Amino acid sequence: MTNITAKHITDDDLVLLFYGEHDDPELAAIVACSTELSARFDALRAELKLVDTFVPPHRGDDYGSDVWQQISPRLADETAQSKGRIQAWLSSFTQPRFSFGGALAFVLVAALAFTLGRNNGPDGITTPTDPLQATGIVLAGIDSARLLTSAISGHLEQVDLVLTQFANTSVALAGDADRATGMLVANRLYRQAAVSQGKHKLAAFLAELEPLLIELAYEAHTASPVSRERMQKEVRNGLLFRVRVMNKQLNNSQISA
Amino acid sequence: MSQTEQKIIRKAAAGDRAAFRELVLEHSHAMFRLAWRLTSDETAAEDIVQEAFIKAWRKLESFRMEASLRSWLHRITVNTAMDYLRKQSTRKRFETEEPEWESIPQAAETPNTDAQIDIRVQTEAAMQQLSKTERSALMLKHFEGHSINEIAQILEMTTGACKQTIFRAVKKMRIALRPLVTT
Repeated sequence: MTNITAKHITDDDLVLLFYGEHDDPELAAIVACSTELSARFDALRAELKLVDTFVPPHRGDDYGSDVWQQISPRLADETAQSKGRIQAWLSSFTQPRFSFGGALAFVLVAALAFTLGRNNGPDGITTPTDPLQATGIVLAGIDSARLLTSAISGHLEQVDLVLTQFANTSVALAGDADRATGMLVANRLYRQAAVSQGKHKLAAFLAELEPLLIELAYEAHTASPVSRERMQKEVRNGLLFRVRVMNKQLNNSQISA
Repeated sequence: MSQTEQKIIRKAAAGDRAAFRELVLEHSHAMFRLAWRLTSDETAAEDIVQEAFIKAWRKLESFRMEASLRSWLHRITVNTAMDYLRKQSTRKRFETEEPEWESIPQAAETPNTDAQIDIRVQTEAAMQQLSKTERSALMLKHFEGHSINEIAQILEMTTGACKQTIFRAVKKMRIALRPLVTT
């Protein structure tokens, strides 16, 4: 059972949840089920979204080459100095109402259902003394694990679409960054929900997607052709395939369940 | 880290300039973005990137393959930017204070409307209110996606202190940006 209750959740907890770093994987469910906490989370998200306007000046495609031209003559000096230093050294001796994407509602409902399901007694009898428990009764019939699997499968389909588009276009498209930002936040919450349900392999896979989603959200639209090509290669040479395999596994597990 | 990247790093560490050039081409843009976000100064950011690569070339032998090259380069970039900012603050003590508008940097993506300009300017102004460490921690978390543990290592602080630094930075930014959020 989680040690955290709605009353004790601070803004710092919400910051950790936003960045996918909170220790308690059930926090997302608790936030989702509270109108007040969801409103606080949405406010945090809206305010931090403005930080995204802090966009660096664009560097041209040749920027890497320019840097190399500038530092290249100095490297020769550094090499000589470095050898000297080595010699010197040797001689002397280094909530379902979050406003970002409908699919997210599923994971929060699933996480909530799971939490409440776990908190119910073994005989399934609960006393609806508070809204959490009352909602638990409504959700008691839901197979939360299956709901979560289905939600993550939907998420992976979206990731598949975005990655396919990214891998096959040479220029950044309008809206790419926004889509990636939304998927990034959703991905973090899905990862936490997966952890809370003991789906560690799935959680680890979602964690692997995160660095690329960050790059797509904040870097892809200003990346040099070299960086973009490197990212596209990473997507084509395995990541996209693995997203599809994982999604297929999720779908198969739903069918066989 | 891929085997190809490991091979390039090994070659570069052994003094292969062509291999090091590949690393420069690969990481320049990202390092520039980080340096600019720490300084809000385009020219300074360019200098910091060059300086950071010189340091990386010098120290590459000490790089451990089990670590992330990106984190390692970010650490060098942050340290170089911190040095620059320290020198700047010392210099400013002896100079007349500049009018605030002069220090507002140019961003590449020109906003379309007055409202967007206002948001960008106020976001940058809010960023200036953060301490060097708060700003670094927030940038590394928000834009670079490093974990709190990684940021703690980059900034050479404990994980607990790093968390508190991020909380403080977020709190300051929220207070400054809240009036700009449209409901």
